[in-house]
Amino acid sequence: MKKKILAIFASAAMCLGLCGCGNTATSSATSSTADTTSTSGSTSSDNTDWNYIKNKGEMIIGITYNMPMNYQDDNGETTGFETEFTKAVCEKLGVTPKFQVIEWSKKEMELKAKTIDVIWNGLTVTEERKENILFSTSYLKNKQVTVVKAENADKYPDTASMANISIAFESGSAGEDIIKNDTALKNCKQINCEAQKDAMLEVKSGTADACIVDYTLAKAFTKEGTDYSDLKVLENIQNTDEEYAIGARLEDKETISKINAAIDEVAKDGTLKAIAEKYDLADALLVGGESTTSDVSAVSAAESEVSAVSSESTAA
Amino acid sequence: MSFLEVTKSLSQGFGVTLLIFGITLAVSIPLGLVITFGSMSKIPPIKWLTKFFVWIIRGTPLMLQIVLIFYGPGLMHWNFQFNRMTAVLVAFIINYSCYFSEIYRGGIESIPKGQYEAGQVLGMTKSQIFFKVVLFQVIKRIVPPMGNEIITLVKDTSLARVITVTELVKAAENIIAVKGIIWPLFYVGAFYLIFTALITFLLHLAEKKMNYYSN
Repeated sequence: MKKKILAIFASAAMCLGLCGCGNTATSSATSSTADTTSTSGSTSSDNTDWNYIKNKGEMIIGITYNMPMNYQDDNGETTGFETEFTKAVCEKLGVTPKFQVIEWSKKEMELKAKTIDVIWNGLTVTEERKENILFSTSYLKNKQVTVVKAENADKYPDTASMANISIAFESGSAGEDIIKNDTALKNCKQINCEAQKDAMLEVKSGTADACIVDYTLAKAFTKEGTDYSDLKVLENIQNTDEEYAIGARLEDKETISKINAAIDEVAKDGTLKAIAEKYDLADALLVGGESTTSDVSAVSAAESEVSAVSSESTAA
Repeated sequence: MSFLEVTKSLSQGFGVTLLIFGITLAVSIPLGLVITFGSMSKIPPIKWLTKFFVWIIRGTPLMLQIVLIFYGPGLMHWNFQFNRMTAVLVAFIINYSCYFSEIYRGGIESIPKGQYEAGQVLGMTKSQIFFKVVLFQVIKRIVPPMGNEIITLVKDTSLARVITVTELVKAAENIIAVKGIIWPLFYVGAFYLIFTALITFLLHLAEKKMNYYSN
């Protein structure tokens, strides 16, 4: 009896030791069994960039659930503007999209650790992000708006009138940049939130007077039937142009040029426009419209250069 | 979204919570004993190495350990990665084994030396003394501190959401992010409360059953 128990403990300890070794010595053997997403065996040098994704046949798409980009419908299926757009592009690329929910603050880490292949979730192109992320063609225009309680809406016709109130924002977001650079807003009491929905919650619960969030999210959140329908979206900020693009690993130049070509295809055949219309985002599209067809000529370039957008085209 | 739909959606998250809880407990309770033997070993290198390991694990946040185990291999180009659930389980099992091992050590060291001496006089071997005399007294003594850790584990499972394993809290956050309703976040409290009530009751039963010398 006692020997049996000792044997069980001893074997448990040995298993632990083996797991430890597995990390280094027998890595390729372990990876094929322990990890469903890794490739099957091929460890040759072509297992990078597009070949890496093509060989495994699926592209892992890093998303967060947010309306109207990617969200779960009543049956628990992932859907949304970005979801459908992703599926259309992946069909052209000949790979299966696999949607993986991530923490937004860890998106760069997810990319580098290869736990996702691209970020495709209303990712705003910024100079800081270009240091870690390779961007595709910009496809959608976005702007930042302030959200306040409806009964206070009249009090804030412009940002100057918002000085010295408390204002919530998502840390690292475009909204934060606006607050830091605005002469009136930078004197506000700033509440740094983990996500845009948390910033909305601050306003709803009255712990913040206002928040700055993406227009697309604000619009979806404040519609009838949500807990936030007593909040009001104000367009009182002077916005600089802000654009959404797909983000990949810096070294994945071939992947981005493939994606750009596929975006070009779904833009030209009208698929993208149809999807955008479904989610009420058609006038925010940067590719596929008649006036912006010249922009997509740059898609084959692997650089993350943002194509110029005519400033008069209004956002959704 | 109706109350019933939210309950259904949260129940799926609660299933994941239960899975993390169950597997962590099932593996770390025996594994903790192995670590205890290590930290009580008479061989100095094993003893100090184990103590050092326990110090690292108990001295860093579990959240950090989860992140390291999941992203670490990929970031170091090891061509190997855990899937999300496995990474969570590995982190929880290692972490809780270390906490359990210290509770076991406290329990084992609380048994008077005289019982070992009595065992030797009766001609029992060392392992006979441990498994036939000491262990059951230890189990009886460590139930309250183990109960503490087990109840903490119920709530610690919510840390799995840092690598987006959809356990109970993450399931609620998803509803909030998509539907724009807030109350599900507070509703999850009821799930945890009912589950910990059940565990508290079971621990009470266990204590009562083992309380054979009193009365």
